[in-house]
Amino acid sequence: MTLESILMTLPYITVVVLFSLGLFTVLFKKNLIKIIMGIALMQNGANLFLVSLAYRRGDYAPIFTSAESTDMVMPTAHALTLTSIVIGVATTALLLSFVIMIKKHYGSINTDDVRRCKE
Amino acid sequence: MSFDIMLHTPTFALAVPLLFAFLTILLSKFSKKVGDVTFLLGLLLTGYFVFLMSYRIFTDGGWVYTFGAEEPITLNFFRITFIADGFAALATITIAITAIAAGIYSFGYLQKKMPSDKFYTLFLLTLGGVNGMVLTGDLFNLFVWFEVTSVASCALIAYENHRGRSVEAALKYMVLSVVGGLIVLFSIGLLYGQYGVLNYALLSGNISRIFLDKLALGLLLVIFAMKASSVPMHMWAPDAYGEAPGPATPFIAITSLGSLFVLFRLLFGVFGVGMDTAAVGAVLVILGVLSMFVGVTMALVQDDLKRLIAYLSVSQVGYMTMAVGVGLATLNTVEYQNFGELAMKGGFFHMINDGVYKALLFLSAVTVVHKTDLRSLNDLGGLAHKMPYTTVFFLVGAVSIAGIPPMSGFSSKLLIYRSVYLYNPILAVIALVVSIITFAIMGKVFFNAFLGPDQGLTDGEVSKLMLSGMAILTAMVIVFTLFPGLVVSELVTPAIEALSEGVIP
Repeated sequence: MTLESILMTLPYITVVVLFSLGLFTVLFKKNLIKIIMGIALMQNGANLFLVSLAYRRGDYAPIFTSAESTDMVMPTAHALTLTSIVIGVATTALLLSFVIMIKKHYGSINTDDVRRCKE
Repeated sequence: MSFDIMLHTPTFALAVPLLFAFLTILLSKFSKKVGDVTFLLGLLLTGYFVFLMSYRIFTDGGWVYTFGAEEPITLNFFRITFIADGFAALATITIAITAIAAGIYSFGYLQKKMPSDKFYTLFLLTLGGVNGMVLTGDLFNLFVWFEVTSVASCALIAYENHRGRSVEAALKYMVLSVVGGLIVLFSIGLLYGQYGVLNYALLSGNISRIFLDKLALGLLLVIFAMKASSVPMHMWAPDAYGEAPGPATPFIAITSLGSLFVLFRLLFGVFGVGMDTAAVGAVLVILGVLSMFVGVTMALVQDDLKRLIAYLSVSQVGYMTMAVGVGLATLNTVEYQNFGELAMKGGFFHMINDGVYKALLFLSAVTVVHKTDLRSLNDLGGLAHKMPYTTVFFLVGAVSIAGIPPMSGFSSKLLIYRSVYLYNPILAVIALVVSIITFAIMGKVFFNAFLGPDQGLTDGEVSKLMLSGMAILTAMVIVFTLFPGLVVSELVTPAIEALSEGVIP
């Protein structure tokens, strides 16, 4: 295994680490804010995954240059990532505003105290 | 080049609700009445374009609508496409009927309790999102509409934010939806990384049985089954349906039905050729049987009216999953001709049926809760004396969900029993037992809440607008009851043909 192939797999390892850290936080933490932080970690993992997929060695970035169009990478994954970032902002904002409402009504943001629906 | 409105109808089915979502909130600044009218106009226009689209699909056949291009899609062009075929017609019609009825109902409901303008905006945004989800022809768009629907419907659930419970239900659903959305994005990445395409038609030619494809299939299946409130991923549904503001409740249920439509589209249209249909079909059958059984068992022990119907709705989702699972398991074999096709017909007929009578049940339950401020069956009683119309509407929905002949629920369930029996007799027995328990539950609810001596819980019927919202749904149930053959041959059969042939390239 050369240094280069290790470097090429590094983004994917980071993706796995970020995604599983986020999932762990969502599943096992009791603090609502921490759960939302876990979701943000997963979002970043998914975005990094898409960007790493879009990388083609030796190709040019899809911006206006004199390079041949066949030498440019497909910008689809980048577009998808940008969309996902924007959506991520919206969902995180909505989730945080829910937490503010929960704190108002329940006086706590611990998941053990926030279970009136089951009654 | 002339402007052919019929060709562009898929865009309008999406653009109209999105445009009116923001028009309503703007025009509501003038007066409440203007906002109401704009909202109604948006709903009716959406229904009109859905009708036009379906009309063209049924007369001229389906087409692929490509945004910003006239030539068909090629490998090098990443165009946004919408697929308008029989399947999309069935899905959008189901959604449109419920949306219009719930929208009209919400006029009466919102008058005294809460501000209406933001409710209308969220409602129309959700409608646009679901329409986009069932019409889209590529995975990129699917993800975007998935998230639009999630955000808008979660905000809708938390609309009555003076109650902590509705915010709690919305938070629960939102966390699940966002994590689900990220997993959808991850599996889209898996497929894109291998094949470099996102279009359904192009992907379906490439899918093979390697591990990464199976992983993507499994993740997508789990997430869309979760959104469709299939057991064991159903825990959000009773909370969300129970706590959502009244008129939005049936619409949230339709959102999850829309996810079920998308799941079937992905399974047949994208993965159909490349996957082991028998195994995936068996998984769907297992999910369906679990949903039917767990849903109805949990409904037995509920005494909260809205939660009870929510659990029944989980169990109804099981019928469709099971029936379509049988169809998928037998796809491309001799058995498909024998009974698989019939199972699909039953499943899809049940979907449109269920969309309508479930909405009717939810709306009449909401009416009861709205009028009496009581949710527990133990406290309700004798409502039939003062609310005769609501009683009749509830009875029609209850008889239909229980599958009592000659109601529409019976016609679709009969198709399911007959075909599923040939796949495995035990499944038909379970389906029958679940149906009988559903009947018992509905009987219990009806006697408890509506019959008996007048307890003075209510001072009369709700407003005419709310009644007419329910009347529309009742009329649809009666139409499906009177002409089941027509609905199957005109609406359901084209959908199944479109689905089993895969997406139009």
